[in-house]
Amino acid sequence: MRILGISAHYHDSAAALVDGGVPVCAVQEERLSRRKNDAAFPLLAIEWCLERAGLEPEQLDAVVFYEKPMLKFERILTMALRGFPRTWRSFPRAMKNSLGEKLWVKGIIASHLGVPGRKILFTEHHQAHAAAAFLTAPTRAAAILTADGVGEWATLSVGRGAVDAEGRTKIEAMREIRFPHSLGMLYSTFTAWLGFPVNEGEYKVMGLAAHGRPSLAAEVRKVLLRTPEGGFALDLSWFDYHLSARSSYSTKFLDAFGAARDPWDPIDLSTERGRHYADVAASVQRVLEDTLVDLASALRAETGLPDLCLGGGVALNGCANARILRESGFERVFVPPAPGDAGCALGAALYADRVHFANPWREVPDHPFWGPEAEPADLSRLAGEDGLPSERFAEPELLARVADELYAGRIVGWVDGPSEFGPRALGHRSILAAPHDAAMRDKLNRSIKFREEFRPFAPAVPIEAASRYFDLPAGGERLGRFMSGVFPVRPEWRDRLAAVTHVDGTARVQTVERGMAPRFHALLEAVGRRTGLPVLLNTSFNLAGEPIVNRAAEAYSTFRRSGIDLLVCGPVLVPKKRAAQRGAEEAVA
Amino acid sequence: MGEVVGPSALDRALRPLHRWVWRDPQRCARKLLRFAETEADGGRDLSRAAELTNDPLLRRLYFRHAEDELRHAALFRERGRALLRGLPRARAGFEANWLAPGERGLDDLRVDRERDESLLAFLHLSEKAAAQRFAMYRQVLGHDPATRAVFDDVLHDEAFHMSYTHTQLARVAAGRSRMRLWRARIARLWKAYLRAAAALASVVGTLLLRVQYFLLLPPFALFARRAWRREPAGFVAARRPSPLTSQY
Repeated sequence: MRILGISAHYHDSAAALVDGGVPVCAVQEERLSRRKNDAAFPLLAIEWCLERAGLEPEQLDAVVFYEKPMLKFERILTMALRGFPRTWRSFPRAMKNSLGEKLWVKGIIASHLGVPGRKILFTEHHQAHAAAAFLTAPTRAAAILTADGVGEWATLSVGRGAVDAEGRTKIEAMREIRFPHSLGMLYSTFTAWLGFPVNEGEYKVMGLAAHGRPSLAAEVRKVLLRTPEGGFALDLSWFDYHLSARSSYSTKFLDAFGAARDPWDPIDLSTERGRHYADVAASVQRVLEDTLVDLASALRAETGLPDLCLGGGVALNGCANARILRESGFERVFVPPAPGDAGCALGAALYADRVHFANPWREVPDHPFWGPEAEPADLSRLAGEDGLPSERFAEPELLARVADELYAGRIVGWVDGPSEFGPRALGHRSILAAPHDAAMRDKLNRSIKFREEFRPFAPAVPIEAASRYFDLPAGGERLGRFMSGVFPVRPEWRDRLAAVTHVDGTARVQTVERGMAPRFHALLEAVGRRTGLPVLLNTSFNLAGEPIVNRAAEAYSTFRRSGIDLLVCGPVLVPKKRAAQRGAEEAVA
Repeated sequence: MGEVVGPSALDRALRPLHRWVWRDPQRCARKLLRFAETEADGGRDLSRAAELTNDPLLRRLYFRHAEDELRHAALFRERGRALLRGLPRARAGFEANWLAPGERGLDDLRVDRERDESLLAFLHLSEKAAAQRFAMYRQVLGHDPATRAVFDDVLHDEAFHMSYTHTQLARVAAGRSRMRLWRARIARLWKAYLRAAAALASVVGTLLLRVQYFLLLPPFALFARRAWRREPAGFVAARRPSPLTSQY
């Protein structure tokens, strides 16, 4: 069966195609439209998926949307009613926002793709998260925990998934927490208070948290109340997000934590105010982790299963994931490469295949590389037209040359094969650098990524060598496969891994397995032979405010506009020529 | 290159308003920071244009233009932050951003849908409008030499941008460049009309929805609140899955 999964309209739209029970391709709309976090209906992503598979829309057996639009609308309307009359400002905006294409999804899909209405299906939001986590993991029975801001009503769900001997799949949601009580919204509220964009700046809160002390955790616990049956409820008097479209927090929140940070005001950790922001970030991070560990521990005790599949945007929190692995009793924790809403496109398609159509279980290839390929010939052409030399190498020479350049302190743009599905660059669309020197981190933050100094960079290491440099608990290598866990750097290596060791001595490690990314693994080995340390700083290949590069033209553009010294796409290598060109350009104007 | 740009007639007529807008340091700082965002967005659009064009010369020029925009963003950001540092914390006030169509950058432009000719015509007009507006700002900022210097710097680049877009338009649309410019002017007017119409429709829609909110919702709100009070806190049993054919 050929099933197209779609997620859209809130953030991070995506499309994914499943054929015969196995993913064929998946891509976020932003990678094609080049608009970061593009929430539009993912027409470009759908077109690319169909083209990649060589299909016409009428050849699809089903198109599955990742949530139930009417149920979501019910929640929005109900919240407006519950908040009456305080919702008088937000009501018109909420209605205008919902009554457009968000509500008429079936018609929009039918009109864009020309498929009959009977072929259009809808999973629930957390069903899609659960399926994305469970059906892509190499396990046949696992507990499932999904958590995000909100789907239709559910904000967190716990359940289990199982595949029986005949290959029949069952995904059972046991309990859920419903809006407005939400761990994701709690974290997002603090994200907004800290002056970062919601749905985008949550990484920054986690990075900032390492610089602070959780001295306000008791205050945060007044906001997040634990309930007797093991769940939680938010004290809504601290929040406004359920009543207002403009502000997430109430005046009570501001009284307790102080004035919100002006987004224009840089965080200076040498000032008292800067340290206060870091302490608040550390406090909410601590409370989030404690709560998730408790929920996961209870789930472990209840199900008795050794595996846990985590889904939803909250599963992007690598610190929390690592604590769940260490403290909840689960032996293995699986987080898919795209645990957020984009991954729901794949989750919805797989759910329809395995549960709705009851097709037998098929093992899903355990990698994130479902996106478009980059053409090395395009890079050669672009560089040639710009008067830059491009060289084509055989594999061993290329790897040795790149290792030499990295050893010499150069920054490398690395493009290889199909792009990653999900927010992490895992060795196919990466910016690479030597991990030894803290100055490299500052250089990358300043001249490449143009981002805040408190944000760390991640290391990539061959899975065989990971435990030598990083203190990984049992199961840590698995969590590191898609860079989903934050673990301590072994103290004796911190000085030599200064560019990737965060202020608290941790790193979001990527453990690279040869079978998943053979070329990247080979590069790490080449670096190890050259430097004695097979570790690289690996950050996503994009500039601030832009999506990760997709094709060679975008990689070349990013290379041109940043301090990247060397661009590699397949066997083609382009070094940067530093000669100033401004005079020449002005001459033609 | 080096075309000197002065304020437009409209801006000259609005000089007292511009002077008033830029006299307040808080507002001045926030406008500069807003410009920084706009310039950075414009830079991204130009990078995209560079990625899409098949013309190597245009690609280099777009890259150069994108770099300029990013440099402007940094200049505006730095100056805006410097101004804010010396001021007490305050909420953003009236900024009169609607006064500045030329500073909207390329925000309503879908670069991937434009051909080189139409993009160059659009860029030329946008740069010209921005340069005229910035020339006016420069004039009313006599009391703030540091901010004025930022506009001086930016204006120098704007002159280059206006010049290269005009020259390249003449090259790629040989014999059709005037027509392209007129079409771009009409397109800008059409987009301005659409923005105004959408804003008006939004106001009317908001008004109607508010009336409905207060007239129709109260009884339902009563039931909804009553039901909410009965809801347990914490975990509840998961909703029974509905068939995938259902949207509810």
